[in-house]
Amino acid sequence: MNETDQTQAIELSQVYKSYGSKVAVENLTLSIPRGELFAFLGPNGAGKTTTIKMIVGLLRPTRGVVEVCGHQIALNGLAAKAKLAYVPDQPFIYEKLTGREFLYFVAEMYGLSVKARDARLERLVVELDIGEFLDQLTESYSHGMKQRVVLAGALLHDPAVLVIDEPMVGLDPRTIRVVRNLFSELTQNGGTVFMSTHILDIAEALADRIGIIHRAELIAIGTLDQLKQKAKREHSLEDIFLELTEGEHA
Amino acid sequence: MPDAALPQHTRSRLGLLFRVRGRSVWNRIIVAVREAPVRLTTAILLIGVVWIGLYGLFRFVFHQLEQTPLEAAVAVPMVFNFFFLAMLALLAFSNAIISYSALFGREESSYLLTLPVAPIDVVTLKYIESTILSSWSVVLLGMPLMFAMAELREEPTSRLLFLAFFLAFIPIPGALGLLLSWSIARFFPRNATRGVWVGAGVVLALLVVGGLRTMAPQDTDEAAEMWLHSFLSSMSFVEAAFLPNNWVAAGIDHALQGKSSTALGYLGVTIANAMFISWLVVRLVSKHFDVAYDRASASRATGSRVASNASGGIAGRVFFYLPLPLRLVAAKDLRTFFRDPAQWAQLTILFGLLVLYLTNMPTMKLGLQATGWMLMIPFLNLCAVSLILATFTCRFVFPLVSLEGQKLWLVGVLPVKRSRLLWSKLAFSMTVTLAVAVGAMGLAAAMLRMGPIWTVIHVGVTIGICFGLCGLSVGLGALLPMFDESNPARIANGLGGTTNLLISVAVVAVSLGGVLVATYRSRYLIPGTMPDAVSLSCVAGSVAVSVGAGLVALWVGGRKFDRAEV
Repeated sequence: MNETDQTQAIELSQVYKSYGSKVAVENLTLSIPRGELFAFLGPNGAGKTTTIKMIVGLLRPTRGVVEVCGHQIALNGLAAKAKLAYVPDQPFIYEKLTGREFLYFVAEMYGLSVKARDARLERLVVELDIGEFLDQLTESYSHGMKQRVVLAGALLHDPAVLVIDEPMVGLDPRTIRVVRNLFSELTQNGGTVFMSTHILDIAEALADRIGIIHRAELIAIGTLDQLKQKAKREHSLEDIFLELTEGEHA
Repeated sequence: MPDAALPQHTRSRLGLLFRVRGRSVWNRIIVAVREAPVRLTTAILLIGVVWIGLYGLFRFVFHQLEQTPLEAAVAVPMVFNFFFLAMLALLAFSNAIISYSALFGREESSYLLTLPVAPIDVVTLKYIESTILSSWSVVLLGMPLMFAMAELREEPTSRLLFLAFFLAFIPIPGALGLLLSWSIARFFPRNATRGVWVGAGVVLALLVVGGLRTMAPQDTDEAAEMWLHSFLSSMSFVEAAFLPNNWVAAGIDHALQGKSSTALGYLGVTIANAMFISWLVVRLVSKHFDVAYDRASASRATGSRVASNASGGIAGRVFFYLPLPLRLVAAKDLRTFFRDPAQWAQLTILFGLLVLYLTNMPTMKLGLQATGWMLMIPFLNLCAVSLILATFTCRFVFPLVSLEGQKLWLVGVLPVKRSRLLWSKLAFSMTVTLAVAVGAMGLAAAMLRMGPIWTVIHVGVTIGICFGLCGLSVGLGALLPMFDESNPARIANGLGGTTNLLISVAVVAVSLGGVLVATYRSRYLIPGTMPDAVSLSCVAGSVAVSVGAGLVALWVGGRKFDRAEV
């Protein structure tokens, strides 16, 4: 990472996105500093994935500006993406490559030297326990195995910003624990994690701040305590979430 | 920030993308050699047989043309002009479909766009890949044409020149296809499917209208000569200097006349233009790729309600004769067919070309007064229809049961025996194939003024072959399924799919063999008279073989499907 400047890791200013007449994200303004783990919550269809896709440059805001580490994604996408790693809920992996070939591809894509790649990979292989199947074609992997290899790929270049959609789906409890630790370590080293999840326990346990989007609008943002104050109740995040998004099925 | 000021890792990654693609292909070959050597060998042998067969056919045709040098001098350049013009249109359309899917429909594009890869690298990769995918078979099957000609002219060195013309030509339709796919995503994202429909329809309509304009039968030599003059003058636009087909045709023509330097000049023109149009289109599409991708993604997010209404009504009524649960499944398959451009586009293109050919047949005064030729041409039509049907059923009908396996939690709990579901698949596939195949054979009969006897024979055999091929694909699809695979193309290319293809081709060959015997035995009959008992028996045997193969496959597949654990 080695980012010393004071720009925000992720900055969204008055971002608006519509699909024809359907508004997906309504004037979203959001600043996420470096070193923060931010949990982005919301019912299905609230605008979470659209927001994530705008942050990683897959979609263009209809209005507004998205910046990653000070780089406008619409104007300077390559510089922004060099700082990013993105893991979607259904991650892509080349099926006719082995896990190791895929990770080498990712490392070269981000310009890692062979020495840096091998050192980093050695550690991730142990932590994510992927060594046993790393030299098999990925087409033979289960969902959880693919998820672990993709996570290794995302963390391989030590990204300044990790954007991850439903990170724990398909992982076993042991790997979930490892991933939680990796996220904590990333943020302690100054990295930022932007995480969308429906598993509220994880958001409650890991997140420095939580944002709740509902019907395309950010209706609440803050630490867990701040959200409790907003909801005027001393309950779990699940209760707060359900109260704020009343009438919706999460 | 300009690119030059960016860190090292944000420079072009095209080489890396190609290396990864190469590695994937290599791994695929290794797996195929290790796990399915028979399939691989069979595929190579079949391609070899087809290649040699085509080479022999073209040699024969060119040899025949050589007997009439004056006609050949006029016909050969014209044939090549038409051939490459048709290739220009077909490859551009094919490339548009493949490019659209590769750039705006596949997960890989989304993945690459989140990496520090410049859009021009992604577009260049997909452009080259799509061009290869859409053109390799044309080059492979076009080579025997070129080689046969080179052989006849005793100009072995021109083989390489002909191949160079092919390779220089294909980037042009490739670039046009890329531009078309980008335009659809950029300007008609909500109606991409409909756009392809309309595009295919317009092209086919133009071709058929063009065909109909020239279809009036010519009964006398004078009329035929006048028609030929009129036809050649109306088609003179294909020789326009700005059209790529003309550069290639003229180059080949000059090479055939031994004017190598002029031919090389045309080759240079073709290469220069191919490189220029490729550069221009790739730059244009790359520059505005993000907008097009955004629009295509947005259209997927909002869905397509129009297609749903359009196909839902038809699908609900077509299968009125089936019991309710089976009707629902068959209607679902028909809706899927209507909504999957890959399925209907291939069928439309193949049969559209067949219709074009058939509508032009009456104008061909080829001395068809002899009964033998009058029967042989319809027989060749029947061969073409049967092989197109086999291609369609193996590619699209065979995977149906495997794809159902993943939804067996839903279909499997319907109040109906599982094997009976195969009949709904059969009903769906028969509906689609019969509509186009019987239509094509009926048209052929009308165009060739076949008598009622041979019309009934050919339509009857077509129906039998339809049943046989659909029954085989459904039955073998249930017998040799790939329930864990969601990609129909991979299911069709698997061991079961290859087995189905080989058995289907064998059944078609046996069935057509019976008709061929009947055709041969009837070659001296007065038109309109009934073939002899042996001939009719051969035809009946053909139908019986097709229907029997379909029934056996359905029975065996049904038993397996009843016991299948998914």
